[in-house]
Amino acid sequence: MSIVANKDTRLVIMGGPAGVNAARRMAEFCHLMSMPFYVKAFVFPPDAGKNAEIPVGNKILSIPIYRKMAEVSENHPDVNTCLVYIGADRALAAATDALNAPGIKVLSMITEGVPERDSKLLRRLAIEKGKVFNGPSSIGIVSAGQCRLGVVGGSYDNLVLSKLYRPGSMGVITKSGGLLNEIIWMCSQFADGITTAIGIGGDAYPGADFVTFLDMFEKDPDTKAVVLVGEMGGNAEEMAADWLAAKPRRIKVVGVVAGFCQEALPKGMKFGHAGAKEGQKGEGSARHKSDRLRSAGATVPETFGGLGPSIQKVYNDLRAAGKIKPIAEADHEKLPRLPKTIEESIKTGEVMVPPFVKSTICDDRGDEPCYAGYPASELINKGYDIPHVVGLLWLKRLLAPHEAEIIRRIVMLSADHGPCVSGALTTIIGASAGIPLAQAVASGMSMIGPRFGGAVTDAGRYFQMGVERGMPVPEFLAYMKKNVGPVPGIGHRVKSLRNPDKRVKELVGYVKSLGIPTPVLDYALEIEKTTTAKKDTLILNVDGAMGAILVDLGFPIDALNGFFILARTIGLIGHWIDQRRQDARLIRLPAYLANYATEPKRAVPEMEGAPEKLVGAKS
Amino acid sequence: MAKVLEGPGMDLFAKWGIAVPQHAVVTSLEQFDHLAGTNDWLKKSKLVVKAHEAIGSRMKQGLVKIDLDTAGARAATKEMLGRTIGTMVVSQVIVSEMVPHSAEYYVSVKSTREGAEVFLASVGGIEIESQWDKVKKLSVPVGEKPSASDLEKLAKDADFKGDLAGKTAEVAGRLFDCFDNEDGQYIEINPVGLTSDGRLVALDAVTLLDGDARFRHPDWNFSFAAEFGRTYSDDERYIQEVDSKVKGSVKLIQIPGGDTALLPAGGGASVFYADAVIARGGKIANYAEYSGDPPDWAVEALTDKVCSLPGIKNIIVGGAIANFTNVKATFTGIISAFRKAKADGRLKGVRIWVRRGGPYEKEGLEAMRALQQEGFDIHVYDRHTPLTDIVDMALRKN
Repeated sequence: MSIVANKDTRLVIMGGPAGVNAARRMAEFCHLMSMPFYVKAFVFPPDAGKNAEIPVGNKILSIPIYRKMAEVSENHPDVNTCLVYIGADRALAAATDALNAPGIKVLSMITEGVPERDSKLLRRLAIEKGKVFNGPSSIGIVSAGQCRLGVVGGSYDNLVLSKLYRPGSMGVITKSGGLLNEIIWMCSQFADGITTAIGIGGDAYPGADFVTFLDMFEKDPDTKAVVLVGEMGGNAEEMAADWLAAKPRRIKVVGVVAGFCQEALPKGMKFGHAGAKEGQKGEGSARHKSDRLRSAGATVPETFGGLGPSIQKVYNDLRAAGKIKPIAEADHEKLPRLPKTIEESIKTGEVMVPPFVKSTICDDRGDEPCYAGYPASELINKGYDIPHVVGLLWLKRLLAPHEAEIIRRIVMLSADHGPCVSGALTTIIGASAGIPLAQAVASGMSMIGPRFGGAVTDAGRYFQMGVERGMPVPEFLAYMKKNVGPVPGIGHRVKSLRNPDKRVKELVGYVKSLGIPTPVLDYALEIEKTTTAKKDTLILNVDGAMGAILVDLGFPIDALNGFFILARTIGLIGHWIDQRRQDARLIRLPAYLANYATEPKRAVPEMEGAPEKLVGAKS
Repeated sequence: MAKVLEGPGMDLFAKWGIAVPQHAVVTSLEQFDHLAGTNDWLKKSKLVVKAHEAIGSRMKQGLVKIDLDTAGARAATKEMLGRTIGTMVVSQVIVSEMVPHSAEYYVSVKSTREGAEVFLASVGGIEIESQWDKVKKLSVPVGEKPSASDLEKLAKDADFKGDLAGKTAEVAGRLFDCFDNEDGQYIEINPVGLTSDGRLVALDAVTLLDGDARFRHPDWNFSFAAEFGRTYSDDERYIQEVDSKVKGSVKLIQIPGGDTALLPAGGGASVFYADAVIARGGKIANYAEYSGDPPDWAVEALTDKVCSLPGIKNIIVGGAIANFTNVKATFTGIISAFRKAKADGRLKGVRIWVRRGGPYEKEGLEAMRALQQEGFDIHVYDRHTPLTDIVDMALRKN
């Protein structure tokens, strides 16, 4: 058996993320016990109406979140216990609400820093209503094999190691939450484990105290002995001693009190929990409390180090007296294990997950992204530039200085070409219609194709074909005429031999000045000589020049349009910002700019086999 | 417990309708002169000057001067400001009007588990200790107020006669209101003075408030006095500052002359570690604790200060089996600070003792153990070694 928390406990948690986290720990306990999850509801007004998702084993349960306790009482009449994880400024209101709910029998509060007046008011209310109010500052309550209220018990491994999956014979009551696990562990090592363990918190005026729970343990036949861990300050330990001495008790009591160090400290210096505020050697001191407990009949070791052997001695005596039967030890290997997350399993090498994507250019798993293995910050610090990043992410190699310079020039020359071209105009129309940056720029981008900016790839492709096949220029032109049509990268709407495209001149001039081998560019210039002889607008245009040069640099053919896209993105973003800055009006084509070559207006004939409904609706 | 000095204590009394003498808290002579120029009472009344600091036995140390005129009060202010008493420096004095009175009484309200107790006596001043049998008590359950008739009965029991019983009952009632509304823990007026025109005036104030209730008292414009009888050191204040910024908590109190440094987890275990050192005949160099899963950088800051304690021979990195504090993460903070301290030469001849359990205990303890390879004199134990055994080991080998 157990006290306060058991198999019939049904819980509401008041609180937000901390409460949800505690619920997850309680779900781990349920998984260990293969028992249904007993947290039925949360009360947390900011999230009211939502659900908290709690993994229980390998399933996810949705637990409703309410605004008020009354809603919990209405929807979950079986809820009988409340845990309070609300901040100190709202804890009084929340706990009052819960204690007033008829179904609630036990309330435990983890909140720290609750004003003393509030604790006292809650204690009074609980006493008037015949309910248990435990805390504030309570780490929680756990009954082995039955119920866990709060994060007490710690990690899943610790639940198993401390044998919390089955009841033993020892009760535990501590002020310190941090020590509760330690004592549970000691009871599992020096005795046969616990029935129920309770943290009452170290506040000056806790709702429940040692005596509250000693009384309950005395009535629980499975609890044979109780371990108390006290602290200097207050008189809870003295009251426990009085309880023990008042009449013969069935349960044995082992006690230890922290705070002997006070005797050796400079006067006035105190530390520990809020309740630890009494004198040095008199009432409230660790020595006074220990002496009182000892003379009342408790087993009280001289120091904490003697606690384990004391527990063992009390346990052995009870065994010898036949009051405790040995418990067959469970095989820990056979207990349910906590399902691991994929991440944990991958870490320990237990599973192999086929990758969903594969990346060979960029790894972001460290402190910063690495481009083809090179950390971005190191590239910056060593003077590399945007063209090198393009080289690393597109070609997976560090570009030579002249290559980087060519790319830099290409981007600079193609960044924008005014508002009238398809891409820019589309972006401008988008901006004037009020659509966001990404969508407006993407609209402009979607214009890039065979007639606008998209000729770089094809120009590179065919020029390279001509070079690779060793086709003389006339043969190439004949091939193109027969199989493709106009030669991509050749010809311009306005530019001509007499009115050359300055961008092309600049780019070609620079590349030729480098003295590097440029077979594809040379071939394209040969083609230009022939085509301009026929018609002087059939010049090598900027797409053609870029395509030829980039093929010479070794960029993959399919990526060549990327340079235009990259460069023109700068311009399109600029156009969007420009329109926004001007608060440009919506662009609507005036009707006089449209040629309405439609049928004249006429009557719509009746539809054959129209559904009756539609025919009826008409009349 | 949060102690409030006399000045703000008097202001709280006045807020709840209790008569107090004219008073002013002064931090400089310029301020004194300015006030003397604008306040009549500073020129006309007899004055009292007291050091406005949490220093015990002020009378004996010459930090209370009475029956002064303006010039005398100025001289007393000049003399007290800047005086050093132990580690405290007097930075404020309170100058108050000396109220002539014919009798002294006693009234206080004390917090109890069930509510509060009101104490009243028809004697007061320093005699109260020796005449405690004359002090009468009224218990008031939490959430209730004492009735006027209960208070008047208390006053009569305390031997107040005639209309004085009604007046003292009224003062006691107002003091209770002050206690109840201001989240008092202990509030005392000793003495209450009876003036020649029959008024009752609070001549001194002891005010202890519940610091945890500060959130609902926006008008508490005072800071609490140090409870230690000494000021906090720079390192202690630094850790308090870190503590105020983080989830969970880190705490540090330095204790000069000790040679065993404590770096334990949890408010309960840390006191048992201090007990264990003293039970072994050792001397602790500090009290410290980290709890509630504080971030690693906060634990690192605390560790750094612990490593800087002078003359330490052992550091006890103790802790129980944690509920939810991540052992690996908090140890990461401790390890970083240890490395830094070792590089600075602060850990020469210092032995480190570790015992801990809780979430990620295996990883945390392994990381600690790995410090042996870096030349640390470190001894690492897990949950199978009882909590305070590392203290026994550390001090046995000395």
